[in-house]
Amino acid sequence: MADYLVDEMSPYHLQMSMFVTTIREQGDEAQRNHWLPQIEAWKIIGAYAQTEQGHGSNVRGLELQARWDPKKKEFELHSPTLTASKWWNGALGRTATHAIVVAQLLLPQIQTPSIDAADDAEPRYVSHGPHPFVVRIRDQDTHQPLPGIVVGDIGPKYGYTSMDNGYMLFNHFRVPHAAMLARYSRVDPETSAFQRTGSSAVVYGSLTNVRANIIMHARLVLARAVTIAVRYCSIRRQFKDRDALDTESIPETVVLDYPTVMIRVLPLLATTFALHYTGEAMYELYRRSRESIEGGDFGSLAELHSTSSGLKSLCTMYAADGIEICRRAMGGHGFGGGSGLVQINADYLSKPTVEGDNWMITQQVSNYLIKKMTAAVEEPHMESKDALSDHFRRYLKQRTTARPQEVITSNGTIDDTALVEAFKWRAATLSYQAYQQRIVQKQRWNTLLISLHKLSRAYSESILVTNFHSALQNSPLSEPTRSTMRDLFHLYALHTIDSDARTFQTTGALSAVVLDAIPDRVLDIMTQKVRPHAVKLVDSWAIPDYLLDSALGRYDGKVYEELFQKAHRENPLNRVTFNVDWRSSEIVKGDKDSEARILAKL
Amino acid sequence: MAPTPQWVKELKPSGPQGHELLKQERAKSKLPVEQLSQFLFTRGGLERKHGILAILEKEKVFYKSQNYFAGRVDRFETALARAKRLRQLTVQHGWSVEDFRAATELISEPGPYGLHESMFLITLRDQGTPQQREKFYKPALNYEIIGCYAQTELGHGSNVRGLETTATWNAEDQTFTIHSPHLTASKWWIGSLGRTANHAVVMAQLVIAGRSHGPHPFVVQIRDLKTHEPLENIHIGDIGPKFGYNTMDNGFLLFNNVKIPHFNMLARFSSVDPQTNRYMRPSSPSLVYGTLTWVRSTIVMQAGGVLARGVTIATRYCAVRRQFQDRDAPEWEKGENQVLNYTMVQIRLLTLLAATYALHFTGKGMMQLYETNQNKMSQDVGQVGSAQRGAGPEETHSGSDLLADLHATSCGLKSLASTIAAEGLETCRRACGGHGYSSFSGIGPWFADYLPTTTWEGDNYMLSQQVARYLLKSARSVMKGEKPTNDTTQILSNFLAKSDIGAAFDVLGRDEDIVAAFAWRTAFLTFEALKHRDEQKKAWNDLLVDFYRLSRAHSQYLVVKNFYETLQSPSLTAELDPETVTVMYKLFRLHSLHTLENEASEFYTSSAVTVRQIQLARTSAVMRLLEELRPHAVRLVDAWDFPDWQLDSSLGRYDGKVYEDMFYRASEQNPLNAITVDPYPDSPVLFKKNDSAQFKSKL
Ligand SMILES: Cc1cc2nc3c(=O)[nH]c(=O)nc-3n(C[C@H](O)[C@H](O)[C@H](O)COP(=O)(O)OP(=O)(O)OC[C@H]3O[C@@H](n4cnc5c(N)ncnc54)[C@H](O)[C@@H]3O)c2cc1C
Ligand SMILES: Cc1cc2nc3c(=O)[nH]c(=O)nc-3n(C[C@H](O)[C@H](O)[C@H](O)COP(=O)(O)OP(=O)(O)OC[C@H]3O[C@@H](n4cnc5c(N)ncnc54)[C@H](O)[C@@H]3O)c2cc1C
Repeated sequence: MADYLVDEMSPYHLQMSMFVTTIREQGDEAQRNHWLPQIEAWKIIGAYAQTEQGHGSNVRGLELQARWDPKKKEFELHSPTLTASKWWNGALGRTATHAIVVAQLLLPQIQTPSIDAADDAEPRYVSHGPHPFVVRIRDQDTHQPLPGIVVGDIGPKYGYTSMDNGYMLFNHFRVPHAAMLARYSRVDPETSAFQRTGSSAVVYGSLTNVRANIIMHARLVLARAVTIAVRYCSIRRQFKDRDALDTESIPETVVLDYPTVMIRVLPLLATTFALHYTGEAMYELYRRSRESIEGGDFGSLAELHSTSSGLKSLCTMYAADGIEICRRAMGGHGFGGGSGLVQINADYLSKPTVEGDNWMITQQVSNYLIKKMTAAVEEPHMESKDALSDHFRRYLKQRTTARPQEVITSNGTIDDTALVEAFKWRAATLSYQAYQQRIVQKQRWNTLLISLHKLSRAYSESILVTNFHSALQNSPLSEPTRSTMRDLFHLYALHTIDSDARTFQTTGALSAVVLDAIPDRVLDIMTQKVRPHAVKLVDSWAIPDYLLDSALGRYDGKVYEELFQKAHRENPLNRVTFNVDWRSSEIVKGDKDSEARILAKL
Repeated sequence: MAPTPQWVKELKPSGPQGHELLKQERAKSKLPVEQLSQFLFTRGGLERKHGILAILEKEKVFYKSQNYFAGRVDRFETALARAKRLRQLTVQHGWSVEDFRAATELISEPGPYGLHESMFLITLRDQGTPQQREKFYKPALNYEIIGCYAQTELGHGSNVRGLETTATWNAEDQTFTIHSPHLTASKWWIGSLGRTANHAVVMAQLVIAGRSHGPHPFVVQIRDLKTHEPLENIHIGDIGPKFGYNTMDNGFLLFNNVKIPHFNMLARFSSVDPQTNRYMRPSSPSLVYGTLTWVRSTIVMQAGGVLARGVTIATRYCAVRRQFQDRDAPEWEKGENQVLNYTMVQIRLLTLLAATYALHFTGKGMMQLYETNQNKMSQDVGQVGSAQRGAGPEETHSGSDLLADLHATSCGLKSLASTIAAEGLETCRRACGGHGYSSFSGIGPWFADYLPTTTWEGDNYMLSQQVARYLLKSARSVMKGEKPTNDTTQILSNFLAKSDIGAAFDVLGRDEDIVAAFAWRTAFLTFEALKHRDEQKKAWNDLLVDFYRLSRAHSQYLVVKNFYETLQSPSLTAELDPETVTVMYKLFRLHSLHTLENEASEFYTSSAVTVRQIQLARTSAVMRLLEELRPHAVRLVDAWDFPDWQLDSSLGRYDGKVYEDMFYRASEQNPLNAITVDPYPDSPVLFKKNDSAQFKSKL
């Protein structure tokens, strides 16, 4: 919690996340007993070093080698190229004493005796793919890198300034047999044979956990941005209403009352709640599959993995783009340091890339959906083991006969169930099309990537809408909060439809008539239903001023006073007086050497 | 910091090397890069740039290596040293305005003299009387006084009429009192004001005998010319760090009843008669808007180049970056795939590449329109029936009025072009994956500096109302049966004549039909909006979202039309060989069809295209264009001719030595690595060793 409130990427962050999780999940019992107490006592500080300069997305392409030496029974870590340098690894640059280092495990090929083999020739080595090793990298006392290791900070970034992301190279650096985390695979020290002791897919378990966290985090990040934008835009006034009869006496319009401001901010407000309910659902899913994995059943892993991939992509995109939309909705002051969105924006922009690039990982979702659809097509009468297969089978039965959903009934009310069905129908149709293209017509994967990206998004949207809807069904909320939540549900769903209207039409989920009516309906929900409660809705996220750190988003609305305070009193530049005459080499008044001082730094 | 060991110095990136990959890329296409660059920028323009680059590169003060590392105060100091040196070089080499602009583009950071050199000088020149120009403009040109343009306040930016700073006329001693009655009256955001300027053009409400006459410009000295301290009763400072633009001292400014002489009100267009104490009306208010239109036109003009920087970096990097093998690749093509080969990357980058060309040609068209108008206005001087005109261009005549057309076009295109450029830069950054997040990518810092362009000179959402207003007026005139006098009224009349019959545009087969379909959609949306406003009497504010979409549609039409007209122009076929012309057509189609697909709903609702056409546009036309343009990608960005010195990017290097450069900057230029920390949480020591001071001076 304290970490959340300080809101700065701490150099210790990795210690408490990836470092400890990896050891806990992938270390064998002896390794856990050895490392965990030291980590908990902060005797060692860890980093997670997987990504290299040349490879991030493609983990199998990592170049760092861990070569097993059967004589000394040690591994030798070595970086054969510059691109093998570890890169981006948080806390590695200046802080960490240890790191989990992911390297290609190279083992000597088990020799089949051949006639002309020279007996003492170097054994041939074969790669067994990337594996994690725990390595001490800096001296306990001097904190200098150990001999054979070159490590440093990679330099300034878009955000994440407070974190020392690092690089690291190894020169024939030796580590003991125990360094390789051995819960699921190990090297037999006697025979040098590679042994697997569980599903390798388990390795993705901790990644999935991280992704579930990312979704829960996305909702809070977006809620912060929306809180600031809603509060500031309901204080900021600009222009008088041009249709007003008496322009002299009326005050200027609050900018949140302009629909072009609402259309940017209020759907995002609705999105924060959509993310909230799906985040909760994801945790539940993670908890359940974790239970069955510990019990030896890996069946749910595929669903967990693909759902989390699709949602990670969609939710971090919502939050990252949402912050920027909120920032711009605030005009000039949104650009200033007092907006409170500068750092969060820059820091958060790493999220669309880390833990699986948002574009790339959508392939995993679509791949999974195509598999599920293939199974449903090939065995239409099998009993479905999960909700998705069941839905696909039902879809296949109705595919040719179904008619578009009437989500807006003739008297103008919105049918919530039909709304959810429309999203599911669209996702199923796109899955079916992808199945047709890839499995039946055998089109190249690469030509399908763009459609697959859209499919993943459509599927993830259907999950968000479904979870939002079922949360409303089971909601303990009382009126009038309950109906406002329902308005937010409508706003999220209809606005999402409007942003990609024609796929709802081409997939037969909705009719053109309904689609044409949606923009006005969205405007109506925003102005009549959501706008009046906007400030209270953001207040309900209960984000303290300390965390917001924003002049514009203050709970008490003292925007202008605070902006002035920050500019005037807390700004070091105002303590310097400059000599602005272009002929003078004096840059700072009274500092005759200022030019030389500046040049020396360049 | 320990010196880099020999074994590290000897390491190479794993093959194939970046420079080999870019060489292959350049070999894949025969596009004559130089010819294309000349077509875009003219030979003279290119020579100018390279001549100036040669001068700047030699000056130590312009070395960029520490830009990404330094903190705000250091960066500002350096920026001021650079601004001075630039001025010295300008005088020394007798640089023209164009030379000077080329130099600032190469340096590419906002500088402390920025607003002096732009808005301060322009306002003095355009709004001062000859006597005032003599007194203020002349010394300002020689940097004897340094100024800024102080309009925006803490409480008001968009709504200029709502400004709170007052300039009260004192009849007894013929002076004005400048005063800030509230905290929200504080000037805010004013470039070059915080630490640099000693004068300001201050926009203040003119008050005569208790009556307000709206905002007017006044020249006010704000700092002592010797000590550079603020004058009495004036409070000034820098407003603090921002999202970007941190080499600029955007400032605040408060007045406590400061008196200035009558002479200091810029009086070319309106003034106070000191004898009668009467307010003299503006003679031709539209002239005042000339400056604004010019500034917006330059934003449109620059947008293509701004975006092209990001596209150049991302395209080159994605041609060097390899990740995964192609799933369907045959056994013998085992190596990893360049990420630029993934259609997921192409749909982001190649479409933006097409947009850079579209914006460039549109920018040129916009500037031509501006110049035509300037010429016409100077011919018309004296004839314009100025008396009937109100204060803003929204009240000017519709249809035939070139100025109104220019104004609306500049608003709409400013909004669209700066949005495309800003969002496109972020797309480029993200397309580079993890390394895009490093400052060394060169995209992030550039993006951050560019972002305010979406807000200043008219917020991009707000400006769309001006476009809508103009289109509604034009539509009303067409409805009344007035003859079309310009392109806007022409497309509206066409639509009206055919709207019953409907249209059948062959957007996948004929290029001119693409343009016609865009025109059709604009016209459709215009008449829809007109119906809402005039027939259904909807409130203006309730229509803002529709107006935004309308403005966007209209501006997209203008971009597509400008691109198409450039393709049709005789100079194109004269200057470019046939193969290049073919590639230009493909860029045109990619840009238009991709836009069409993104806005599918509106095209469909207006019946400009069918659902089937939209589907085909994506699944076949766009996909095929991506494939056909892919081999030319690197050469097409090369044609933008950005010197490495300007890009300052590891990822965007011309020679593709991406990894070596990134490693060099991280390990050799990074002061953080001269610090050894004490990592344990219970130790009060933060830094065990800090050699960063030595480290910097060693560089
Ligand atoms: C702030 C930050 C902190 C980080 N912290 C750590 C850390 O602590 N430890 C660690 O090990 N790593 C860390 N990383 C690294 C991070 O995990 C990687 O950057 C991330 O996985 C993306 O990989 P990449 O950089 O190789 O992207 P690339 O794969 O090079 O992406 C480049 C482009 O190619 C596209 N692309 C790639 N493959 C495909 C494909 N098959 N199909 C279609 N398109 C494709 C992508 O969409 C993208 O547009 C961090 C990164 C950042 C930015
Ligand atoms: C880096 C930077 C440098 C600058 N330099 C200068 C300078 O040198 N001199 C100077 O004078 N100024 C300067 N400015 C100020 C700039 O011109 C203003 O910030 C800009 O005009 C926007 O005004 P605002 O901040 O009042 O936005 P606001 O008007 O407060 O905008 C807030 C929100 O309200 C919406 N909105 C406002 N009015 C309406 C409406 N009528 N209808 C619908 N929506 C509406 C906007 O779309 C926006 O979403 C600078 C600003 C920046 C960021």
